[in-house]
Amino acid sequence: LTPSEPRISKHSMSMRLGLQPGEVIDRKRRFRFTWNGEAYPAYEGDTIVSALAACGERVFSRSFKYHRPRGLLTASFLDPGCVVRVGDEPNVRGAHRRVEPGMVVSPQNAWPSLRFDAKSANGALGRFLSAGFYYKTFIRPRRLWPVYRRVLRRFSAGGVVSPNSPHGYFDKRYAHPDVVVAGGGPAGMAAAVAAAEAGAQVLLVEEEYELGGHLRWGNEVDLAALRELRGEVESTSGIEVMTDSVVTGRYDGNWVAVLQRNLPHVVERLIKARAKTLVVAPGLIERPYVFEGNDTHGVVLSSAARRLINLYAVRPGERAVVFSANESGDAAVEDLERIGVEVARVVDARRGGDILRVSGGSKGVHYVECADGTKVECDLLVTAVGWTAPTSLLNMAGDRPVYNESAARFFPSKLPDDVLAAGGLVGDGMLDEQLAHARAVGSEAARRAALTARTLLAGVPQRTEQGAGEQEEPESAPVKIPELPVNDHPALFYGRTDGIVDYSEDVTSKDLHAAKKEGYDSIELAKRYTTATMGPAQGKLETVNAVAIMAAATGSSIEETGTTVWRPPYSPITLGALAGRIFEPVRYSPMQPWHERRGAKPLVAGAWIRPDHYGDPASEVLNVRENVGLIDVTPLGKFDLRGPDVPKLLNLLYVNKWSTLDVGAVRYGVMCLEDGVVFDDGVTGRLAPDRYIMTTTSSGAASVSEWIDNWLQTAHPEWRIHVTPVTTAYASINVAGPKSRELLLRLTEGVDLSPGAFPYMRVRTGRIAGVDDCFMWRIGFTGELSYEVHVPAAYGLHAWKALMDRGADLGVAPFGVEAQRILRLEKGHLIVGQDTDGLTGAYGAGLDWAVKLDKDDFAGKPELVWQSERDEYHRLVGLQPQDGSVVPPEASQIVEGKNKIVGRITSSRMSPTLGRSICLGMVAPHLARAGTTVTVHLPDEKRIPARVMEHHAHFDPEGVRQRG
Amino acid sequence: VAEAPVARSPIAPAAPVTVEHGWEISARRTGASLRIMDCTPLAKVLVHACADGEVARILAVPFGRMARDEHETLVVGSGPGEWLLLAPPGAAQAVIRRVEEMPDEGLVSVFGATHGRALMRITGARAADLLSKVCGVALSEKVTPDGAAFRSSVAKLVTDVVRDDQDGVLSYLLHCERSSGQYLFDALIDAGDEFGIEVEGFVAPPMRGVSG
Repeated sequence: LTPSEPRISKHSMSMRLGLQPGEVIDRKRRFRFTWNGEAYPAYEGDTIVSALAACGERVFSRSFKYHRPRGLLTASFLDPGCVVRVGDEPNVRGAHRRVEPGMVVSPQNAWPSLRFDAKSANGALGRFLSAGFYYKTFIRPRRLWPVYRRVLRRFSAGGVVSPNSPHGYFDKRYAHPDVVVAGGGPAGMAAAVAAAEAGAQVLLVEEEYELGGHLRWGNEVDLAALRELRGEVESTSGIEVMTDSVVTGRYDGNWVAVLQRNLPHVVERLIKARAKTLVVAPGLIERPYVFEGNDTHGVVLSSAARRLINLYAVRPGERAVVFSANESGDAAVEDLERIGVEVARVVDARRGGDILRVSGGSKGVHYVECADGTKVECDLLVTAVGWTAPTSLLNMAGDRPVYNESAARFFPSKLPDDVLAAGGLVGDGMLDEQLAHARAVGSEAARRAALTARTLLAGVPQRTEQGAGEQEEPESAPVKIPELPVNDHPALFYGRTDGIVDYSEDVTSKDLHAAKKEGYDSIELAKRYTTATMGPAQGKLETVNAVAIMAAATGSSIEETGTTVWRPPYSPITLGALAGRIFEPVRYSPMQPWHERRGAKPLVAGAWIRPDHYGDPASEVLNVRENVGLIDVTPLGKFDLRGPDVPKLLNLLYVNKWSTLDVGAVRYGVMCLEDGVVFDDGVTGRLAPDRYIMTTTSSGAASVSEWIDNWLQTAHPEWRIHVTPVTTAYASINVAGPKSRELLLRLTEGVDLSPGAFPYMRVRTGRIAGVDDCFMWRIGFTGELSYEVHVPAAYGLHAWKALMDRGADLGVAPFGVEAQRILRLEKGHLIVGQDTDGLTGAYGAGLDWAVKLDKDDFAGKPELVWQSERDEYHRLVGLQPQDGSVVPPEASQIVEGKNKIVGRITSSRMSPTLGRSICLGMVAPHLARAGTTVTVHLPDEKRIPARVMEHHAHFDPEGVRQRG
Repeated sequence: VAEAPVARSPIAPAAPVTVEHGWEISARRTGASLRIMDCTPLAKVLVHACADGEVARILAVPFGRMARDEHETLVVGSGPGEWLLLAPPGAAQAVIRRVEEMPDEGLVSVFGATHGRALMRITGARAADLLSKVCGVALSEKVTPDGAAFRSSVAKLVTDVVRDDQDGVLSYLLHCERSSGQYLFDALIDAGDEFGIEVEGFVAPPMRGVSG
């Protein structure tokens, strides 16, 4: 026993059979798990439900609406009566999920217990809970809807997701197989082998834990065929087998989604497979029969009985009635008799036999009443009335299946070239015929995939030189695919009494008839009105029965009634699998380790993580004003521009002039879009005759890069310019404050830092802190004497530490983004995107001085010419509240009269330097004159007066300090 | 003026840490079958030139391919008219000089990108399985054989991927802008966890024995 296994079990495997030839349980590995608070034994390989059934348990859940006790029906993933909770995971398919040692399984949708469910009182109210009850009852009065909602939520059958559940590991994988085979039954295996033998890379996907389909629960002949097929799959290279996995959708371009479960490292994995050809071979799904009492536990499908016996060695009952219309029912009779179950009666539909109803209670089936009036006592009714063709993936590929009356099921009609079908979906016939057909389909799938691959490879860059020596194989002729016979089958969907159509949603045949009477006479409308086919089984068990009942109700044929549309996903997918891993690229500067050690508060700025402040932004501001501060400005966008035509590019991108920029000079530039709206700003310096460095805002770097590429690739491909994004090639440090020159003097070699030799708005290259190939420029976003130092990034941390170490006696200290924002606001520098918006033109931003309309052309010029002739735009102005202790929050409205909005505050802070609040704001043109008093409407409804200033700058408007 | 500068990769080195070739690197060694190595110290040089000019002819590596030249420099055709040259640590200036000396009448730009990019290598038979979890490009022999180079999203990050098998073992170089280097490294380790990936310290030069 593992520590988590319950130690005592009062339950025994009383229904467990002796060794079965095809059983999947490992009797050497016995363990215990918990169901409904009690310990149960199980073998490895058991599903939750097979283990419980082996112990005689027959009820595993309560139904959705009427809370009727439900047991096994299909003994497969689809089984609607076997949805349970495992640990804190709801909606687990108990007839599919393998039980594990110590697993804690509990029922859901039952209160207070599975055995005594108080909500089963709904069953007594059944006649009031007909289709549409919900819509009709809770529509009025509308004001009570919140109350209704609270009550209705208590009746939700979907289990409960605990917010405390641990976050599972989910991920995704991309795959590019030549052929995806959906379905690992005999046809799927044969198709996969044939495709792989033809040279294709194949992905074979099977929903069950093993390959084999119905052969797994078959007789000795079936098992021999299974062994042979599995051997072929194993020995054929080029086949990747995925079991406990399902193709959940087929999308354009044969983009196939595969959900892979049961991985050791991952809860669930979504595989995005770009298949060149898709082979759909899911087999057939046995459908239930609609009659009174058909959801009583003890009523099972023939395939379910055979699975229980042959796969899990579980006796499904003691005394059985079998209602059979086909070989599956006959085989079930053989199996039951072989294991000693008394088959009390076989009702053969092929000879006109029928059943009327099942009478049962909390202990399950009591007796079956046949159409001939006889009543047969039993605890098990096995039905074998026909098959549903799961055409979902074909529907998703555009196919509209057609109904074949003699076979009583749907068949594919016209498939696209990259989708083929095999197996029972296409026809019947003996196993040999099925395999021959599937092999031909597999070969043809490989042939078509090769054609597609040839086309795709022709588009891969520079593959030609590799393949030059290879002789291209001639296109092969299509593979002849033999026809499969289609066997006649009685059209058995519903009996002479009413019963459950949709087990997941508790929709009855009466509900469908009622829907038709109320006018919902289309199957699509009736589906939505009654919710038939909308439960967890998603129509795989109930669609054809629902269609047949609607056809009868409307007096039309099944073909005329048609089917509902199957959409992805074929099988439910967890949200975790859809989400996969969370990939959110983040960017760090080389100095990040220092910032973290210094306790910087991180600021998420796009993908960048930046230091917002180091504890006290106001002190950081004052230190820059009085001493010297360092800020990490690595995120500034940077581009290396080379070539003789760079000035042309700069003149095109910026509104100001660039032809006269000397080597060693730096200039501020503003970029506008074609509509004259301010797009970005920054400085560009000329390092050499043919080499420039352009900087952009941190957030605008990617957009500017695209903007440059757009102009160079579409408008001026003839210009001789090379652009290299170098944002992270350099660690950028702004050294700001009256003592910045003194600090840099201690660490700089090869650059004369004297004001005369290195004046404002100039750039120099040299060695800093022992690091070669640095450049620095004198600019002043903070309004102080400052140098923006750009160091090869791998040495960024070294340079930063050196500056901090050597400036200790000068009072050097770091400052963060918040301090920088205060400093620039004191200085009146705008931030594009904060002080401007998607409508702010260059004139509105107060950048008139920069716009040079006498240039030949530049981006946004026509619009700016138009703007220059008008004065209708809002303008950016400096603002100071009369009460200097009040800081209007950014985005506060500036109003006039009662409520007329005439502007807004774009930036605001308390200035540590001035000891009062300062702002930038956008105001209507008639309010933009200096000295005007405007009214700011605060979020708390107060209104305060503020004065329009002469300059944007609140501090040192003449720029004396920054010019040093 | 200051202590000798030490270059640092954006990827935090796994212990033990040492300094070689002026770079702080991990000295960890592993025998794992799937390994990831931070190769950022390699010299990286970006070349822009006319796709059908003389430099292109001399480099002789088209877009989408990789090869080694006679100096054992790994030349990657990373874009139309764009090449990335990888060489041992400290060799950037020599590589730049060699390219600048190539005669070409068109505009040729050579940029030392050693400090601006992160470079890592994953090696092992399951390397493609790892990459298929974070990259949507087909990694089959037909589409991306040894010597293939492509630019794609890897864990949602723009990355240049170069297949450069090592002594017959599957190996990929991944190259992204520097600031996201740690992110990409972590994402690859996360994806490779199920295959037993381990960090291998930098060995210079890690590229050898491969013909283009």
